[in-house]
Amino acid sequence: MYSIRNRLSYRIIIAMILVLSVMSALLYYRVAGHVQAVFDQAVYDKAQALISLTELDEEGLEFDFAEDGVMLEFVDGQDQQYYQLWEAGGTELIRSPSLQEHQLPMPGLTLGQHRFDDIELADGRAGRMIAINFMPRVEFDEEEIEDTDYQLPEARPIVMVFARERMSLDDTLYAVGWSIFLLNILVIIFVAALIWQLVGRGLAPLSNLARQVSGIDESNLDARLSHSGEQSRELAPIEHQLNHLLERMQSAFEREKRFSANVAHELRTPLSELKTLAEVGRMVPEDQEQIAGFFEDVGDISSQMEKVVVTLLELTRSEAGLLQNEPEDILLFDYCEHIWRHAVNGSGREKLLINQVPRNLVVHSDADKLGMILSNLFINAVCYSPDQAEVKVRTVERDGRLALEVQNATTDLKPEDIVHMKDRFWRKNKAQEKAGHSGLGLTLVDALARIMQMDIKLDLDDEGIFHVRLAGLQVTAG
Amino acid sequence: MKVLLVEDSERLQRSLSTGLHKHGFAVDQAFDGEQALSFVAVNDYDVIILDLMLPRLDGLSVLSRIRSDGNSCHVLILSANDQTADRIKGLDMGADDYMVKPFSFDELVSRLRALNRRQSGIKNPQIEIDGVTIDSVSRQVKYHDRSITLTPHEYGLLEFLASRRGRVFSHDQLIDQLYDANSYVSRNAVEAHVSSLRKRLKQSGAPELVKTRRGFGYLVE
Repeated sequence: MYSIRNRLSYRIIIAMILVLSVMSALLYYRVAGHVQAVFDQAVYDKAQALISLTELDEEGLEFDFAEDGVMLEFVDGQDQQYYQLWEAGGTELIRSPSLQEHQLPMPGLTLGQHRFDDIELADGRAGRMIAINFMPRVEFDEEEIEDTDYQLPEARPIVMVFARERMSLDDTLYAVGWSIFLLNILVIIFVAALIWQLVGRGLAPLSNLARQVSGIDESNLDARLSHSGEQSRELAPIEHQLNHLLERMQSAFEREKRFSANVAHELRTPLSELKTLAEVGRMVPEDQEQIAGFFEDVGDISSQMEKVVVTLLELTRSEAGLLQNEPEDILLFDYCEHIWRHAVNGSGREKLLINQVPRNLVVHSDADKLGMILSNLFINAVCYSPDQAEVKVRTVERDGRLALEVQNATTDLKPEDIVHMKDRFWRKNKAQEKAGHSGLGLTLVDALARIMQMDIKLDLDDEGIFHVRLAGLQVTAG
Repeated sequence: MKVLLVEDSERLQRSLSTGLHKHGFAVDQAFDGEQALSFVAVNDYDVIILDLMLPRLDGLSVLSRIRSDGNSCHVLILSANDQTADRIKGLDMGADDYMVKPFSFDELVSRLRALNRRQSGIKNPQIEIDGVTIDSVSRQVKYHDRSITLTPHEYGLLEFLASRRGRVFSHDQLIDQLYDANSYVSRNAVEAHVSSLRKRLKQSGAPELVKTRRGFGYLVE
């Protein structure tokens, strides 16, 4: 795992080193070139001075710079300089006394051409030379020209090589190079530290976010990410989405906890009944009547627990997508009567079903699931309606869709209860609940309806009549 | 020991009251909160076993009303709510004990006995008076290691009076404490039980523990 701060800092620093190095190199070559040009210009000027002191007159070539005491730097001393001149054909004309028996190289040049070069001087020092091919200046007396017998010597090109030491140039270039290098190192160190700080400061909101996120676990899902000061445009959507995710996770955790607590609660009472029956039953083995009653209770408790477990399994299967919609043609009137007889009749709650479904109406639906839905709705209608109340089932058309509606009068249902009625384990009053009602019926009905691509709508009208509408019936005939 | 069992599950009521009767408790049954309060208003109970989810009036409201009326009888909450917050709430509202369903019936009986001992200020489950030992756990009475056979009513009467030594109880008070509301017991029945108890103790050579205060009732000195 890498650190964004480290990686970002390192990459910026490396890029900066590269850029600074290239710039330093360019600067060095630029400065070195300039210094060398200045140096060469001085060499050139000196060579031009020597050329200007070279003249051709009636007596031949004269080299005024070679006269004694004129230019001592060519004779001897600490900072000796050198020259050597040749005429065309390579005949040496003159050399500086400082050269003694040594030679300067004579490059081949055309007239007017000059060339610089690095050489090793006669005394072993590094030097810089310039070679120039020039025509000597002709110097004559006008009175002598009028004499017709006067013959001017013929001017011929001369090659002159002037050389001087270049240690001062090299020292300067060395100093410039080191200065640039040291400055470069200092700038890199300073800027690297600055980058480290700035990147760290720039990533502080991210670090803050990471610190907050790593502090969140299942025990504090109610925590929300926050920031101080102005929020960055990049992090705002992340923080928003994470907070949204936390909200959903908290909600899911609470729902899960609530569900587990509800399941545990639903099973605790029948379990304690079973346990007490077993323990007390052992105390009265001789009381056959009592024992028989206990066994009857055990049977009832088992049925109640089985119903809860089966309903939970059906719900789990429906949520896992394991239940398929398998529609078939159903004669709805007869099917309602059939379900009513099986679900309600014989349950000890004798109430009347008013079946207003058209007798010849055939719908295309999943018979098993529709049966489970109707069974739950009928049992609820019977259990939660006043004594002697009727349960009505009919078809209605709403928004162009055919719906099957079950309606019954209620005892203590309030409009605000409607939104909770599909919640798992919701009951109007858990304590007043009749045995066998776990509060899962309408949850299961809703889940089954979704599989059948139908909608369940619950409604309580002003007269206290509760309506459950199962919309989306597909009519085949009738 | 007289117990009010407040529980809306008929099946649990049936099995619990059978078991408690078997252990010598006098049990009154209430199926909802309002019924429980009406029982409490007219009877003195040693312990009330109280479910929290009750029809009409929930258990915590019942507990609150009992305490606000100044009733100091012991209350044992018996609930499916297992969260610590539920226990804390119940105990803070004045319950003396809290048991979570499913529970062990034997543990429930032990806790009821412990609450009863706490009420009478006796820590030892064995009461010894003049060589007569009354063991409230095994429900046995011995005189110098010799076992004395008593009926449940006789044992209940002896244990009740022995655990409240020095206090005189009238016939009506004894009927209230030793029999449940559905038992129609006359003064003669109490006298018959006292007489029978004295006879059994005498047969074992034990001293006559149960004394009569003429015009007031009975006591163990």
